Amino acid sequence: MASKGAAPSTYTPTPTKKTRPPIFSDSDVDWLRPDGRGFHQCRPAFFRTGAVNSAAGSAYAEFGNTKVIVSVFGPRESKKAMMYSDVGRLNCNVSYTTFATPVRGQGSDNKEFSSMLHKALEGAIMLETFPKTTVDVFALVLESGGSDLPVVISCASLALADAGIMMYDLVAGVSVSCLGRNLIIDPILEEETFQDGSLIITCMPSRYEVTQLTISGEWSTAKLNEAMELCLDACSKLAKIMRSCLKEAASASQD
Amino acid sequence: MEFVNPEGLRLDGRRPMEMRQLRAEIGAVAKADGSAVFEMGNTKVIAAVYGPREVQNRSQQINDQALVRCEYSMANFSTGDRRRKPKGDRRSTEISLVIRQTMEACILTHLMPRSQIDIYVQVLQADGGTRSACINAATLALADAGIPMRDLVTSCSAGYLNSTPLLDLNYVEDSAGGPDVTVGILPKLDKVTLLQMDAKLPIDIFENVMQLAAEGCKAIANYIREVLLENTKQLEYRRGL
Amino acid sequence: MVGLSLGEKHFIQGGIDQNIRSDGRKRDTYRPISVETGVIPQANGSARIRIGATEVIASVKAELGRPDALQPDQGKVAIFVDCSPVAEPMFEGRGGEELSTELSVVLQHCLLGGKSGAGAGIDLSSLIVAEGKICWDLYIDGLVISSDGNLLDALGAAIKAALSNTGIPRVQVAAGALGDEQPEVDISDEEFLQFDTSGVPVIVTLTKVGRHYIVDATSEEESQMSSAVSVSINRKGHICGLSKRGSAGLDPSVISDMISVARHISEQLINKLDSEISAAEAGEDEM
Repeated sequence: MASKGAAPSTYTPTPTKKTRPPIFSDSDVDWLRPDGRGFHQCRPAFFRTGAVNSAAGSAYAEFGNTKVIVSVFGPRESKKAMMYSDVGRLNCNVSYTTFATPVRGQGSDNKEFSSMLHKALEGAIMLETFPKTTVDVFALVLESGGSDLPVVISCASLALADAGIMMYDLVAGVSVSCLGRNLIIDPILEEETFQDGSLIITCMPSRYEVTQLTISGEWSTAKLNEAMELCLDACSKLAKIMRSCLKEAASASQD
Repeated sequence: MEFVNPEGLRLDGRRPMEMRQLRAEIGAVAKADGSAVFEMGNTKVIAAVYGPREVQNRSQQINDQALVRCEYSMANFSTGDRRRKPKGDRRSTEISLVIRQTMEACILTHLMPRSQIDIYVQVLQADGGTRSACINAATLALADAGIPMRDLVTSCSAGYLNSTPLLDLNYVEDSAGGPDVTVGILPKLDKVTLLQMDAKLPIDIFENVMQLAAEGCKAIANYIREVLLENTKQLEYRRGL
Repeated sequence: MVGLSLGEKHFIQGGIDQNIRSDGRKRDTYRPISVETGVIPQANGSARIRIGATEVIASVKAELGRPDALQPDQGKVAIFVDCSPVAEPMFEGRGGEELSTELSVVLQHCLLGGKSGAGAGIDLSSLIVAEGKICWDLYIDGLVISSDGNLLDALGAAIKAALSNTGIPRVQVAAGALGDEQPEVDISDEEFLQFDTSGVPVIVTLTKVGRHYIVDATSEEESQMSSAVSVSINRKGHICGLSKRGSAGLDPSVISDMISVARHISEQLINKLDSEISAAEAGEDEM
């Protein structure tokens, strides 16, 4: 090859201490997010129950570009292979459609969402009310626009309520991203790709209990406390919206 | 390639009839009923025995015998190139079957009817002769678990390269494409329970190679017996006898 | 595992309430930790850690590969955990798959930081060889050999020890390759670069039984837990990852309290681990 020349010179790569230039410089508080929201503003939430007729309960949620549909089947008889248990069982499955992500088929990176959904919901459901049976929760992400898991969890708890499964409280989920020194709530897909850290909280607002908490990236205590307060506040507001959706559905069916 | 140089030394400096260094340790896994680590040169294997215990799958229960099950798996980092699937591929299934049949022949299964004995073997480092190391480790683990056996089972492999029978092949010699004879015997009763060979050999040379492997097995049996005796002395000492 | 009787359960919970556990430890004491490095000679780095009866082996292998198109100046790290059936009969076949995936994911969150790679315990930009074309792929494999509770702490500690034992071979890259061509690379067999592991975090798991939290639970104590929080903390005291397990909900103030307790304990754990690792490495050098 002509480019190599007679005696190829070699070099040993040394680890360079390059740091990536931060997206925000420190005092960029007035930077607008792509969709015009403030840093501590969530996307407008849209919920509708009764989306799937054949399921015992179902819900559809739309948060900006994130669209999720969840259907709940059960309580149905557990498979004979499973041992007797005097509490009910919960089986969760989260899957992405192939057209959900900008690049086709990227959703299979998120295999752990099924077990995280299970962990978030199992603290809220009264499993003793349906022994020997299983409740199946199937979540399908139609379009992934950022902050997928919290939307799936909120939508799943609405679907469970629609199916009539007894729960201690609705479960609302919110995620917060850390970009440089700024905390932004409910990130979209572009913001998530460049995040330095993320925190996902799901809680039961009226009992003020956290059912699931996942943190990644480096956080100092002060930022952590600030982020947790922000999320819990947003969760209680989200729960109010979810309750009003359920009341609307109930009153619509009564008419 | 030359596997035995003119002075009679192999690639790692051993003589043709010399085995690699052996090392065994009993009781590595506290939770198991019996466990052992066995090293032959650079091949390192850990075996654990759970049983006799209640049969998990009622349909497989045998009314007059114990059910012996075995699973062989290799760690991701055990071979030079990183493996992707630790278990479930064809070679692992075949070796699990081989180990199970070998151990089943020597366990007195009629003494423990309707029960199940599980033997799990995990390869930590693979450098040729993993099959033999697994069987030796399983024997030690079964002895540690106190399961009644007819005799110890020991196993060793031998090959034939550059017109010389070689004892205990390592990975480089094994992948040379020459014949590889693996023998498992019951040393006191002097009976063969396992005999496998790859490639082809004329019959008279085969007899020599098999004899060499059987002697290797007897040497391993002596070592295993010493290790077990030492372990029993330790147990006696701890009980204050 | 054989189930626990009601009397045993009361015994465990009562002991924890009174700050005396079944093996005599206090609520915030670890079992004796022993570290051995260099146990797998074929890997670039390896370590074997024993915490009480829990034993895990971690190995690090480095291979040359292509960097991700979205991050051309960073290497790649993949973490896999395998639960061997030697530890528990129920890990046979595919039984241990769920636990292995869960452990792998939590370890990835804790050690690899956010998606942009910031806050990672491992400096990914030090793994690059030729920007955009060749980088080191690190495969970190964990194997659970004996499981008696507290697997996450043991795996985190084993990975930290294996990384400090890792030597990446020095490479010579042929200069002057244009465009998309792959430059020729010559991997040296002798010289190695040691990894810098001062930024690698440790994982501390706090298990809540009754009203108190304990550190380093055995599997009996774990069966009685209402919830457990695993916090990954680095030397500076920053939290690098957190995950909550268990079916009971927790008050947010309880979580903050657990985080501060974990931070306090992690200082002692980091110091202890570092001293054990350097003792193990020194012992290995003598041999």
